Amino acid sequence: MMPADTALRAHTTQDVAAIIKDAGARRAPLRIVGRGHWLDAGAPARPATPLALDALSGIVEYTPGDLTLTARAGTTLSDIAAVTAEHGQWLALDPFGTDDGTIGATIATASAGPLAHAFGTPRDVALGLEVVTGDGSIVRTGGRVVKNVAGFDLTRLFTGSWGTLGVITEVTVRLRARPEVDETWAIALDGDAAIGAACRAALGAAAAPIALELLDAPLAAALGLGTSPTVLVRLAGAAAAMRAQRDALRPLGAAAPEPADIWQRLRAAEPAGSTVLRLSQLPDRIGDTWQLAGHARPVWRHASPSRGIVRMIIHTADDTAAAIARAAAGRCTLIAERAPEAFWTDGPTPVPNATLAARVRAAFDPAGILNPGLAPDAPRSPAPPPADG
Amino acid sequence: MTRAELADALRDIVGPRGVLSRASELLPLSADGLPTYRIPPSLAVLPSTRQQVIDVVRLLARERVPFVPRGAGTGLSAGALATGDALIVGLNRLTRILYIDPVNRLALVEPGAVNVSLTRAAAAHGLHYAPDPSSQSACTIGGNVAENSGGPHCLKYGVTLNHVVAVTVLLPNGKICTLGGADGETRGYDLLGAFVGSEGCFGIALDVTVRLVPDPPAVRTMLADFMSIEAGARATSAVIASGILPAAIEMMDGPTIRAVEASIYAAGYPADAEAVLLVELDGLEAGIDDEVRRVEAMCIDAGARTVRIARDDTERARLWQGRKKAFGAMGRIAPALVVQDAVIPRTRLPDVLHTIHEIAARWNIQVCNVFHAGDGNLHPNIAFDPHDADATDRVHHAMREIMRACIDAGGTITGEHGVGLDKLEYMPLIFSPESLDAQCRLRGVFDPERRANPGKVVPIHACREWFASPAARTLA
Repeated sequence: MMPADTALRAHTTQDVAAIIKDAGARRAPLRIVGRGHWLDAGAPARPATPLALDALSGIVEYTPGDLTLTARAGTTLSDIAAVTAEHGQWLALDPFGTDDGTIGATIATASAGPLAHAFGTPRDVALGLEVVTGDGSIVRTGGRVVKNVAGFDLTRLFTGSWGTLGVITEVTVRLRARPEVDETWAIALDGDAAIGAACRAALGAAAAPIALELLDAPLAAALGLGTSPTVLVRLAGAAAAMRAQRDALRPLGAAAPEPADIWQRLRAAEPAGSTVLRLSQLPDRIGDTWQLAGHARPVWRHASPSRGIVRMIIHTADDTAAAIARAAAGRCTLIAERAPEAFWTDGPTPVPNATLAARVRAAFDPAGILNPGLAPDAPRSPAPPPADG
Repeated sequence: MTRAELADALRDIVGPRGVLSRASELLPLSADGLPTYRIPPSLAVLPSTRQQVIDVVRLLARERVPFVPRGAGTGLSAGALATGDALIVGLNRLTRILYIDPVNRLALVEPGAVNVSLTRAAAAHGLHYAPDPSSQSACTIGGNVAENSGGPHCLKYGVTLNHVVAVTVLLPNGKICTLGGADGETRGYDLLGAFVGSEGCFGIALDVTVRLVPDPPAVRTMLADFMSIEAGARATSAVIASGILPAAIEMMDGPTIRAVEASIYAAGYPADAEAVLLVELDGLEAGIDDEVRRVEAMCIDAGARTVRIARDDTERARLWQGRKKAFGAMGRIAPALVVQDAVIPRTRLPDVLHTIHEIAARWNIQVCNVFHAGDGNLHPNIAFDPHDADATDRVHHAMREIMRACIDAGGTITGEHGVGLDKLEYMPLIFSPESLDAQCRLRGVFDPERRANPGKVVPIHACREWFASPAARTLA
């Protein structure tokens, strides 16, 4: 489904408010669409009228000296990258997918990529939002300054709420100065047995990588990195500091320089129709998490060791994902980025704090018209009564 | 249940020494770090164990008694004061550090654990807890979570929000839930993010899991002094815009410098300067001295007279002591000090500081600026004599004008101290009725009865729902 085919397209925040009020009066559900990349994560979402935000785009305010930027929700990450690059700055978010995605969707889905190792996720980057809640109210959260504790933190609440509490119409983010040098090294490991020690050594080295990602052999091969499990290390900083950082990585093995686009290729590696699961545990348990795919093929794995997150790309629509979910149950947190409908209906675990979550939903979208059926309130199998609420 | 019966029921839970009901006992709980509010509570309960906290809150839920969670009482927004018939639930007896996990760089602490005690406990592992409010030797982690506290080193390392990974919350209705999680990502809404900074209005943190940060291998602390505060602000803006991210950039103005230098906390700041910048760079040893030279050059370009680099840890500690104890040193100027808090875009530092100076001159008050310049987080502090009614009145007028100037510059009314009671009147200046109403709705999720820290953070009368009610319109 592309925005071009949609029935409703908002050009202003007032448009969004009018559309939501109208939909609320008619109890007609809406599906919020940026550029159509994340959409419904494959969940069995109920039919809803698409509300396209791609025309709600453009930079609202950018003062380079403040290292903050305000943009309308439909602005693409590549547009933001182009504007900020002129001033030697960047928005340090690299969610999986491409930079054709929008800032609104990135915040709404709390999507992050390898740079989260050093710079955090959307909850660490978002400073303020404009949101139209399910009753059509236009709400501003946070502000345009880098430190702010005025009032309850609705910015964090709406970040990652998948458009189920409100439609994000404007976003203010923290920027960073682009490092003088930004280089990536690939270190091939001597088989799976070397992975644990390599991760520990890489994290303990006297280097300050801005991304550190472990790739299994099949994924490394698919990206043209050879046939071994591989650690990708992105070093950045002042030129004067680079040699020492490179030296610090030497004990891990021979490092080969990689062109910067390796990260774009990794972000876009998943073949169309793949199921993508994210499994996470304490960082020191990453070896166990890594093994949860068993010998299932074809599965590609990559991991952010400092965050304890393993991302599994499953190419087949069979029961491989369900088998991994069963293996993960009770051992780590599983988040499905994209999965076939059957996977969602047999969902492995209930959302934590379901009572509070339901109350939040009712408080901000009382008619339940915003992205019904979507994560994080996706339908799940019957669960024991929650302790909260 | 009468008040006396309630006190007896609380004594049954926490023992006779855990309930304070005499005016003399309650006096220390009638204020926080702001001298302009003094509201004696009618009752306070000080549980010693987690189970006692749970039993107390469940009793209060049954009896529908409002309560105010309180840590060390070092807050600066009159947030931990009990108004009306609310009683205080003091959490500063739950001080244990339950574990430190050096491999995963996590710690689990009780809400009353003192901020600096966690950093001391983590030191053996080469780790520390990064948010470092100036009150860190007294303030508690539970209080830090409630206020989303900052500190000088938050410029590089982030505020409390960025360091809390899980909280076990006792909701005002007595139910317990875990928000966030240390063992992996959390699914669903970011309720942890909503809880951090909720100023005790969403419940009580029974325990807090925080991230610890490795001690940086190299640290350089430098002091630049200027003959005008604008020059110091220009240097700050230049460093921020250059892309160098110091661990901290702190500024103190002339009156602050002279108060510090006259006190027992004298740090060796040039007493004739109108501003000093304390800049700390940290990270890998490689390249750090290069950054020091670049920052030095930017300070000189902005008009610094001298730039001094601390030679050793002793000198570094002394430079920092002057900054962290500056509020205490201001006791030399006047009996009371209003520590203010506002944030502005960093490019606006020179002109807003100039405006603050003009406002102070017009109202004939003394403002001491000591603040987190790198974040644009101002602390224009006003020393005054609270027994002088005219002076107190001028202080209030000047404060309002200063807050208005910060808002007009695109800023906000608090960066790290919270709203509490003190900033309630400013909330409608930065949030529309719809936006305030949304905040009320979030509070309603956690505490539909509004019994936890009632009357704080959101001025109910400014919310849309209040305007919408005919009764409210009549009252207004």
